[in-house]
Amino acid sequence: MTANQQKNPKEKAKPFLFSEFCKGCGRCIEACPKNCIVIGQDINTFTGLIPIKISLENCIGCSLCVNACPEPYALAMSTEEMREREEREQSKNKGAGATFSDPSEMFGLDKSPLPKAKKAIDEEMNLPISGPQILKGNYASAIGAILSGCRHFYGYPITPSTEGAELMAKLMPQLDGIFFQAVSEVATVNIMYGTGGAGLPSMTFTSSPGFSLMVEGISYMIGSEIPGVFINIMRGGPGLGNIAPEQSDIKLVCNGLGHGNTHAVVLAPSTPQEMLDLTMKAFELSFKYRNPVIVVADGYLGQMTGKVILPKKLKKPAIPEWAVYGDKEHRANLMCSIYLTEKDLEDHNHYLDRKYDEIKKNEQMADLYKCDDAEVIIVACNTPAQMAKGSVADLRSKGVKAGLFRPMTLWPFPIDKFKTVLPRARHIVVVEANSSGQLEDELRLNLNRSQVTVHPPIHNVRRCGGILPSQQEITEKILSLKLKEV
Amino acid sequence: MSNVNNSNNPNPTRAFYNKFFRHAQGAGVKGYSNHYCPGCGHGVAQKYLAESISELGIQDKTITVSPVGCSVFMYYYMDTGNTQAAHGRASVTALGHKFANPGSVVISYQGDGDLASIGLAEIVSTAQLGIPITVIFINNAIYGMTGGQMAPTTLMGQRTSTSPNGRQPIMGAPFKIAELISNLDGPVYVERVALFNAKERTKAKKAIKKGLKLQMENKGFSFIEVLAECPTHLKISALESEKWVQEKMLPMFPLGVKKDLFAEGAEAGAGAGTGATHTNNFNLTAPTFDAKKVFDIVTGGNDETVPRYAKGVFPKHLDPKDVSMKLAGSGGDGAQTAAMLIAQSAINEGHDATHIPSYGPESRGGTSYADIHVAAEEVLSPASPTPQILIAFNGPSLMKFGPTVANGGIIIYDSSVVTNAPSFKQAKVYGVPFAEIAVKLGNAMVKNIVALGALQAASKLYPEETFLTAVKTALKSKPKFIEVNEKAFREGMKAIH
Ligand code: SF4
Ligand code: SF4
Ligand code: SF4
Repeated sequence: MTANQQKNPKEKAKPFLFSEFCKGCGRCIEACPKNCIVIGQDINTFTGLIPIKISLENCIGCSLCVNACPEPYALAMSTEEMREREEREQSKNKGAGATFSDPSEMFGLDKSPLPKAKKAIDEEMNLPISGPQILKGNYASAIGAILSGCRHFYGYPITPSTEGAELMAKLMPQLDGIFFQAVSEVATVNIMYGTGGAGLPSMTFTSSPGFSLMVEGISYMIGSEIPGVFINIMRGGPGLGNIAPEQSDIKLVCNGLGHGNTHAVVLAPSTPQEMLDLTMKAFELSFKYRNPVIVVADGYLGQMTGKVILPKKLKKPAIPEWAVYGDKEHRANLMCSIYLTEKDLEDHNHYLDRKYDEIKKNEQMADLYKCDDAEVIIVACNTPAQMAKGSVADLRSKGVKAGLFRPMTLWPFPIDKFKTVLPRARHIVVVEANSSGQLEDELRLNLNRSQVTVHPPIHNVRRCGGILPSQQEITEKILSLKLKEV
Repeated sequence: MSNVNNSNNPNPTRAFYNKFFRHAQGAGVKGYSNHYCPGCGHGVAQKYLAESISELGIQDKTITVSPVGCSVFMYYYMDTGNTQAAHGRASVTALGHKFANPGSVVISYQGDGDLASIGLAEIVSTAQLGIPITVIFINNAIYGMTGGQMAPTTLMGQRTSTSPNGRQPIMGAPFKIAELISNLDGPVYVERVALFNAKERTKAKKAIKKGLKLQMENKGFSFIEVLAECPTHLKISALESEKWVQEKMLPMFPLGVKKDLFAEGAEAGAGAGTGATHTNNFNLTAPTFDAKKVFDIVTGGNDETVPRYAKGVFPKHLDPKDVSMKLAGSGGDGAQTAAMLIAQSAINEGHDATHIPSYGPESRGGTSYADIHVAAEEVLSPASPTPQILIAFNGPSLMKFGPTVANGGIIIYDSSVVTNAPSFKQAKVYGVPFAEIAVKLGNAMVKNIVALGALQAASKLYPEETFLTAVKTALKSKPKFIEVNEKAFREGMKAIH
């Protein structure tokens, strides 16, 4: 270097090259008005690349070379003192097993250390005491979301889920929350990705075709561990199908949430009251496990008005410690689903598997109605479960010991509870509103996975196309079984 | 790392991590260098971004969103909040962050495949919305990460791996994104800059900083298109790529400000772009969680506990535990409102009730019917295929549902529109001129309340006060209609006697 330069505090700063970090692209060469920089000759032993060479004789310290360099730490402006210090450092590091010096000191970085966010606790506040409300299922769900602290609603209108969105459009501005009608369901789920990533509860109402569009984003949410609640008011399919109620997304929500190793808790309410309760549960689980949660209902339930008792408390959510909220405390955080090295991705998937196992262990939910002595177990969820409940009463009056097993979580399927009804069961009848037996598939899969190889025959009552199995159909089907045999 | 006093440091501070601990765990050279190919324009643009963030003092509140493409690993470098987004979705992910924390500064940093191809709907709608976020759009006329395929911004005749003979007209013309965005009403600032020489680089840095500043000041949506070099897939050197951008890209993608509502000397509201313009200042009010306020908003203030006129007694004379009803008419008959009032009455009496409206395309103007159940304990099956009570507002409804009424049931129909009703042997049938009575009362709308009065008198489902209370509660916000509704109810009752 230039030995004859004065150590002058007011000297003009000159560039300094950290040759390990120079990729030899040459952009600085063209940038220099004084032709101080040339292509180098020597291969750098750390990188195998050929860094440039700078000679400072004619340098005017304009820093144009630094501005042209695509590398964060290859070129820095430096005083002579800085240069000398750096050269001393570098000479210490010569030889085998050498390391390079930390360039960041010379780069005027903000030295504020990476912050570590504190664990935050949600606040709960008492609601006024009130009598029962009378609410549509979709409204009950929206209100459940609000009481869970959700102030961010995004969605795209689709029948038969729209009332939920419409109510949110009315209420969110009054609550100083956000209602935003997105350009599509694809946009919707990715806005939720942003808000959920910022650590806040967000939700959408959608229906089957819209939900199909969201599964890519749901896969990203699961990969990045971002919470968010999806209310899918299922309608008839495939394709455009129709807007009447079906339960034909069960396979999608239980086993098809986009690409990769994805699962999410799937809750299945069967009354307007449960639309509220399970929506609140959805928010709780979504944050507990940092994972999206899906609430599936049929179009009937979304439209149905019924008695709804509000909870005693409402929640004000805190910003979780992992959030990318956009403040100092959370600056070090990252939302990300990319794991470039195979081993890292394998580890991430094993981590997700452990989370899924935890969910399976803790969150199975089912409602058992007259199952204690039941010989015929009806399995049904959502509105068909209400029809089935009616049928249980019919059958009991005719002397048939029937009971209803109603899964409230479809994923995880409440197989542990189901096993408790098996010893007395002589027939299982799965009642559902789809043609392919999607709930039955979940039951069979879970029986199989829990090594139950011997079980009573599984019958079915299925309607689809927008027609729900009726109480009468269920009763007739069960009466037609040769109940005394088996 | 030692605590160096940087006051004499001649370098601008940058919001880069001191060490890139996420880049190959920060091992070796990678801990201090980026993953971009030698000479890549991304590195230059990101340096300006990192400098601008520091200079504006917004590092702590900045969130950088990087989607799929060569920019996907931007979170290795930026010492800000970081979110990696799905392909094409960075702008809406950024929106999600901004909605969550309006005080944050959110940057969506997207390549040409991401923004101009798969993410077109998202970027156009986000730009039009005009919420203050800053989009940096890196246009290098090619897909980098996937290995040199044609981008929406690839030039005519340019060879790529998916346009091996050069881009042909059949593949469409390159997208001029900055111009497209500047023609929307939403953005306040749109500029196209480049990196191929010192002069343009200075302008690029200025534009990026300005975009961030406008967001900081809550002024609106800003968009900076950066013409960048991808030497790897142009298969030329970095210096040749600079020339290529200058000579080949510039004619297609002219540089400069495309729109600027806040240019020095510009009048507020005037833009360099065409079309109407507005700024979308963001509401920074924090959401409300006040329990009383939230309660009033979600319930409409319905915290009254209503007296139980039936004293908990279930109308067992109709059914031991579950009365099923159907109300049927056409669109404007008010069947759904009446159904709601019946359900409300039952719930006020401490029973369970459900109401399902008719459902499907037929609800658009055609028939409108409601299934109602009132149950002592719990409604088990909410549909009413064989109702015990039918209220029919017109002939077709009576013909359709009359035969389904259960043995010993009740049918009430509007005799002002159904003149020659058939007889139904299985049920008690009442013709009541709902519409006529309502018109006489001076309000055709209340015919459903007339029907409700008739229902009360014919079925004795609940005491009349039960219904009247439900009607009054429903009209809480429109008290001047209470009187006519009350009259309608009583006239309906009288019509049965
Ligand atoms: S500071 Fe200016 S004159 Fe000196 S080497 Fe860099 S570009 Fe050339
Ligand atoms: S611009 Fe940077 S990376 Fe490229 S040759 Fe110059 S110093 Fe090296
Ligand atoms: S492929 Fe092109 S855009 Fe991607 S890092 Fe390399 S040079 Fe940059």
